[in-house]
Amino acid sequence: MEKIKQNPLVKKVGFNRVVLCCVLILMYVLFCIASPNFVGLPRILSALNYAYFLGFLSLGVTFVIATGGIDFSIGPVMFCSALVSGYCLTSYGMPVGVSLIISIAVGLLFGIFNGYLVAYWSVPPFIVSMASMNIAKGVASVFTKTQSVSWPQGASDQGWFRKLVKIGNIPVGLFIFIAVAIICAMILNKTKAGRYILSLGSNKEAVRLSGVDVKKWEMLAYVICGILVGIAAIFFVGAYTTVQPGYGDQYNNEAIAGCVMGGTSMAGGLASIAGTVIGVFIIALLQEGILALGFTKDYQLIITGIIVIVAVYADVVARRRKN
Amino acid sequence: MNKKNNVLSKFNNQKFIVLLVVIALFIFFSIMSPNFRKYTTVLSILDYSYYIILMAIGVTFPLITGGVDLSIGTGLICYSLAGGYLIVHCGWPTWAGMLVSVLFGVLIGLLNGCLVSLMNLPPFLATLCTCMITRGLGSLCSKGFGIPWPTAGTEGSWFRNIFKITVGETKYPIGFIWMILLVIVMGFVLNHTKIGRYTIAIGSNKEAAMLSGINVKFYHTMAYVISGFFAGLAAIAYSAVFATVQPGSGAGFELEAIGGAIIGGVSASGGVGSISGSLIGVFVICLLKTGLPYIGLQANWQQIITGLVLIGAVLVDILKKKKAVK
Amino acid sequence: MGEVILTMKDIDKSFPGVHALDHVSFEVQKGEVHALMGENGAGKSTLMKVLTGIYTKDSGSIIFEGKEVEFHNAREAQDAGVVIVHQELNMLGHLTVAQNIFIGREFKKGIKIDDKKMNEEAKKLFDKLNIDIDPTETMSNLTVGKQQMCEIAKAISHDAKVIVFDEPSAALTEAEIQELFKIINDLRKQNLGIVYISHRMDEIKVITDRVTVMRDGTYVGTLITKDCTKDDIINMMVGRVIYEDPKSKSMVAPDAPVVLKVEHLNAGKMVQDVSFELRKGEILGFSGLMGAGRTETARAIFGADPKQSGKIYVNGKEVTINSPEDAVKCGIGYLSEDRKRYGIVVQKTVAENSTMAFLENFVKGLFIDKKAEKDIAQKYVDSLATKTPSVDQLVVNLSGGNQQKVVIAKWLVRDCDILIFDEPTRGIDVGAKNEIYKLMNKLAEEGKSIIMISSEMTEILRMSDRIVVMCEGKKTGEIGIEEAKQETIMNMATREIK
Repeated sequence: MEKIKQNPLVKKVGFNRVVLCCVLILMYVLFCIASPNFVGLPRILSALNYAYFLGFLSLGVTFVIATGGIDFSIGPVMFCSALVSGYCLTSYGMPVGVSLIISIAVGLLFGIFNGYLVAYWSVPPFIVSMASMNIAKGVASVFTKTQSVSWPQGASDQGWFRKLVKIGNIPVGLFIFIAVAIICAMILNKTKAGRYILSLGSNKEAVRLSGVDVKKWEMLAYVICGILVGIAAIFFVGAYTTVQPGYGDQYNNEAIAGCVMGGTSMAGGLASIAGTVIGVFIIALLQEGILALGFTKDYQLIITGIIVIVAVYADVVARRRKN
Repeated sequence: MNKKNNVLSKFNNQKFIVLLVVIALFIFFSIMSPNFRKYTTVLSILDYSYYIILMAIGVTFPLITGGVDLSIGTGLICYSLAGGYLIVHCGWPTWAGMLVSVLFGVLIGLLNGCLVSLMNLPPFLATLCTCMITRGLGSLCSKGFGIPWPTAGTEGSWFRNIFKITVGETKYPIGFIWMILLVIVMGFVLNHTKIGRYTIAIGSNKEAAMLSGINVKFYHTMAYVISGFFAGLAAIAYSAVFATVQPGSGAGFELEAIGGAIIGGVSASGGVGSISGSLIGVFVICLLKTGLPYIGLQANWQQIITGLVLIGAVLVDILKKKKAVK
Repeated sequence: MGEVILTMKDIDKSFPGVHALDHVSFEVQKGEVHALMGENGAGKSTLMKVLTGIYTKDSGSIIFEGKEVEFHNAREAQDAGVVIVHQELNMLGHLTVAQNIFIGREFKKGIKIDDKKMNEEAKKLFDKLNIDIDPTETMSNLTVGKQQMCEIAKAISHDAKVIVFDEPSAALTEAEIQELFKIINDLRKQNLGIVYISHRMDEIKVITDRVTVMRDGTYVGTLITKDCTKDDIINMMVGRVIYEDPKSKSMVAPDAPVVLKVEHLNAGKMVQDVSFELRKGEILGFSGLMGAGRTETARAIFGADPKQSGKIYVNGKEVTINSPEDAVKCGIGYLSEDRKRYGIVVQKTVAENSTMAFLENFVKGLFIDKKAEKDIAQKYVDSLATKTPSVDQLVVNLSGGNQQKVVIAKWLVRDCDILIFDEPTRGIDVGAKNEIYKLMNKLAEEGKSIIMISSEMTEILRMSDRIVVMCEGKKTGEIGIEEAKQETIMNMATREIK
């Protein structure tokens, strides 16, 4: 074990991430063995479709958790974005491009709302999340008059946005997702914003006493999350057709699961985009696999819940040991 | 001389103000819509309030410790589905199904308590997970189908009479009497028994409570067990009022219960709260929920408004604290 | 007075790097009020914590009521009858007075807690002590003084035989202090043994029978209060041989301009009408005992805490400082006394911590210029002789002294002209201490102006050009290094201006 840890390549990538990659591959193999029809490209593409929007959600919530906060309104806000922009598209006849921008705008607005309350008013993040979650569901229902919204099919002349997800069998979405993930990693690791966001998650007062306006940067984390949620909505509707109001909660947990599994600490200050990406793939594959094995969505919920508990507990134990 | 201390009297003020808000809302909707003024509306408001009141009574305890229980909403659906399945598909007597519902609630409450108190997981995260888990479990118990608990008139439907009885032509909401009784009982528990006292102590200053020799781990866990127990009772109340219980529902119920509790005076940071306040706060939420359609607003506006009201209530709490420091 | 109830013999206790108690002996008699005095860090609190089981002693014995005892936690000590009334009260603010006093051992009538009986018993307790407090009042509504009395009542309700008061009068008004003394006198008549830790000479004179002085972890001596003078006590508190010579004269040019002027600063109880000046190239020592208000003053100047009134002038111009951001822009830097909580960002590296106060200077385009960051961090690692394998080392892995150097580097990177060092060498070994002293002198020579808050007398005398002394939120004295003597400073630090 120690020898593996000392291996230079392992050290560069990070031991945790190597373990996660192994888990991912192992899972895939196990699923293939358990269910022969799991093998092959269609399943992988299906899992990828799930991974895109979940991935953007996860990337977004990584920024928030890095500040030591939490946002579990991301699922419902994503749905709100998808529904509101979709309604604009189908009922108000707006062009697809504008709708996509509206989608991001809705996410952005919620991000500003959440961030402002947490950073400037010190409202506990879980209360803001709870309220936002329901406001998002309410807004979506009211806006679409509780109807579901169906985005145009790929074949139609408005369906070009689906090319963002895939063209034929080429997973375009994967490239876009990885590209955005790389941008997020650069923001988090190489920019002033990222430096402040991580630092304030670690030790807010020390950063404030260094002369930094911590409120601004804490709010920014939630704003970035909001934008990514808006983008997630685009990839959700790009992969699937109909969006129904009143849903979205399940994805909260899955997004957080991907994030925490990847090494981001709930206590703040420590975050890994690469870990989040691998974590998301694992969760997406898991959901796909559970369904493939004939189990229902219910098992997805239960298993994801258990995974998050285990991952966060592992984080709690690791932190206690460090102290 | 007024010997009553400031905090408590301000707190009683808040309850009083919220009660006024409840009355004001009722009057407002009555004026705006003649249909609102009917007896059937009052019945309806009460019917749909029982399960939220029960959740609110229970969740007040974790909230006072400075934590939260987000699993009560999907939890009650799960417990209802489990009990209902046994009644409808396995032929169990109704009382047995009810018992299972409540016990299931207690079990999940115990799980929450262990996660938060023994494993030191953040309460919102632990209960968010159990929220998901109970959602899945509930659906599994009912094999994905909605479960109708025995409808009025059929065998085994006596449990509906706990909440509403029909005498001749009129229906009487006796459930409300049970609610008042429970509020009195749980208010007593909170203020005059060790469990309640130590719950407040933990929320006030966990360190000091530990140093005083209180078994903090036990009492912290109990707060969540109580919350789970009442979620179980809420399951029964819900089943008694709704025709069918659908798996996958329940998300958002906790907002109404927690929102009601916070409006009624529970502090998000712990240490302060009352059961009667939670009751009154829940009525604000219920009135909004029922009344908004009468003034032409779609029911979903209630979600938006409840969310905003919750934020408002917490901001008031925060501003109060800021003023107190000065 | 007479019979000994408690003897602590040859108590020895060490922490990593610090010999906190060096064969200390201490004895308390029944019916006496025995003062325990000494500077910050003398070991008074440590000794009491060893007594009440919060710390375990390395060696020595404790004999209580004729039997050797060892308390493993506060609860055990409490059950045996040895109780501390702490400086920081451990109370449950949301519960009432009576509920606090009887927490954990409530009277019950079946399942119901008998609050009525608890209120009655609490009232009886208060009557016995002649305290006028309503047992049904919510704890957080009481003044700090009254809260303390509740804590005392709680201690006595445990059937205490020895009560230790740790700086009891620090938060009390005049009237409340008188009430406290009445209570202590009553307790004395009831034959309790009382330990009274305080730095207030006047009170010691009034209420105590004997005075024991500690210094640098050792027992210096015990005097009978009515037979000794304030100077006797002060001599015992400071009478050490200072191995490093105090600064002989101020290094500041007589015509040096005033870089920082603080006028009538008010920030709560701990900063009352504080005014002083800092000149260019000067090291201004801020002396005083714990709780004097020096840190609070520094934080108020730095904008870390809100202030009620006061003017601040930097280089002659009035400035508005409402946040650390404002202060830093004026060229003021602040090294807080709690390094781990307020100084370093634990998850970040030496390099990243070094630029935390001036990050905008290291941004090229959109990204942080990590090479420039590492270069400047390395520059200061070299010039400050910070011991670290590399600038990419996580700062939490460095030793205390080196962490401090990283924090200093942070402000040097920002090129602040005014630096406030709050306990700069606390928890740092001797070697690193000297390096930091050398550094501060170099900075002063280069024209930077330094305020140095320190509780170490030797440090104050060695480094300061001028010394400001504070006591309980007020500035009680100011003296140039040439005239300064330990006794004078201690005198000012224990003087209260009413």
